[in-house]
Amino acid sequence: MTTPTAEPLDSYTLNMGPQHPSTHGVLRLKLTLKGERIVGVEPVIGYSHRAHEKMAENRTYAQFLPNTSRQDYLSGLIYNVAWVEAVEKFAGIAVPERALVARVILSEFNRISSHLLWVGAFLMDLGAATPFLYAFDDREAILSLLESVTGSRLTYATARFGGLSRDLDADFPRRAREVLVKLKARWPEFVDLVEDNVIFRQRTQGVGVFTLDQCRAWGVTGPPLRASGVPYDIRKAEPYGAYSRYQFDIPTRPEGDVFARYMVRIAEMEQSVRIIEQALDGLPEGPILTEGSIGIKKRLKLPVGTLYYAVESARGAYGIIIVSEGGSEPYRAKFRTPSYANLGVMYDVLPGTMVADAVAVLGSVDLVMPEVDR
Amino acid sequence: MGAAAELAMGLEGAGLTVAPPSEHPISGVAESRWVAPASLVKVAEALREAGFFYESMTCVDRLDPHGVFELIYTFNRWDEPARLAVRAWAPKDEAVPSMSGVYGIAAWNEREAWEFYGLRFSNHPNLTWLLLPEDTDFHPLLKSFTAPPPSIYDDSMNPSAAPADTGDANDHAHG
Repeated sequence: MTTPTAEPLDSYTLNMGPQHPSTHGVLRLKLTLKGERIVGVEPVIGYSHRAHEKMAENRTYAQFLPNTSRQDYLSGLIYNVAWVEAVEKFAGIAVPERALVARVILSEFNRISSHLLWVGAFLMDLGAATPFLYAFDDREAILSLLESVTGSRLTYATARFGGLSRDLDADFPRRAREVLVKLKARWPEFVDLVEDNVIFRQRTQGVGVFTLDQCRAWGVTGPPLRASGVPYDIRKAEPYGAYSRYQFDIPTRPEGDVFARYMVRIAEMEQSVRIIEQALDGLPEGPILTEGSIGIKKRLKLPVGTLYYAVESARGAYGIIIVSEGGSEPYRAKFRTPSYANLGVMYDVLPGTMVADAVAVLGSVDLVMPEVDR
Repeated sequence: MGAAAELAMGLEGAGLTVAPPSEHPISGVAESRWVAPASLVKVAEALREAGFFYESMTCVDRLDPHGVFELIYTFNRWDEPARLAVRAWAPKDEAVPSMSGVYGIAAWNEREAWEFYGLRFSNHPNLTWLLLPEDTDFHPLLKSFTAPPPSIYDDSMNPSAAPADTGDANDHAHG
């Protein structure tokens, strides 16, 4: 522990959280303030630590499937697929074409639903209650669609080593396209409601700028990095699954402020729609699970070695590190979660801003605390 | 030559790498090098200089039989896939130099390694509990840690906190 030191009388400490409406999960910030200006910040995390990494060492690869989507409960499907693909890559399990494409479709829908929740919650932090209702209306359509395929709305465990647990039904493409039409009709409304709103721009422009040097020191990835002008997206940098087949752009903004992070996420949703449309057009027929592949009941053993497997989650670069000693459980599993690094950068970004802006800055990085704490 | 290979060659040229102490293979990375724990900060400085960002650090319990912790750092670049794994064997009782002066996020990763494995880091600004409750006196990711963690809410899992002898407890013990 650090020893308390004599501080000038004009600075004081304010505890923000752990139960604070704007932290979206249990996060405590120890803010040192001079008047309303932040001069120091110490994030206190671990309130939702559930020892996923220890659990992984005591479960077979298949038994760990339900844990995956409980790390980031907003884009859980992407995490679920990431675990399965990491194990498939390690064990050399083939995946049918249809399953690869279906995973992309489901993951991108999950990404949009995660971004929509963020849009609603973030704008609510800034005092705008209306967009929340619009965002949740759209998100509901996506969740219903995902539920019809996976059986779950939040904590998905639908991916299997060698494919998916259930096939997309014959009517799925029609229902998916219906949702896409609904989503696309909404973008202009977001521009009118939010983007051109004077209050929103005043609260967000020029606030909480991430410099490239800070991004490098803290390992910032995902939309916050792209809002600082770096087109880094694992889907392009290290294409996995079926992503290399689709045309899509990596939206970036040069400003690096809160407004840029909002604009990047909105543009990303449009790109996700583009990917889903292409994937639906080229959805191959065929099996969804490799015939005779390792099913959930078989004990799967991986070769000795360490594997790093990276995917782009809704929040940034997610990495799975599996250390195997040849057993049917991981010897060690480590999860490199994007929110962890995106929260760490607050040490450098928050000092100098006002308390009221801290809410905007914190909201703009889209933290999921269970993912930080694992 | 890719940026990762170039940097790895540079590290070798500067004499910062060591011969692999283990045959354990690593995949999913562009390059991988073993270094001595004492040169970790120099390696980090070279990586920062070359535009790499700090991606992750994994601590692995290799106490049985090697008596060390394996540290796997990964660094990457934004402009090309250049994941570089830097691996080190850290003897159990020696402090590892902290990278937090070079990469800010290293401070949190090192706090995790300390609380989950008991591995100490020198020159760390604040080596204290990060994810576990303060005052936790066990290191749960050690392979030797198999007991359920003591709970402040439920003593039934914790033998040392068994209730004082009551008639009921004795009945069960002999029953």
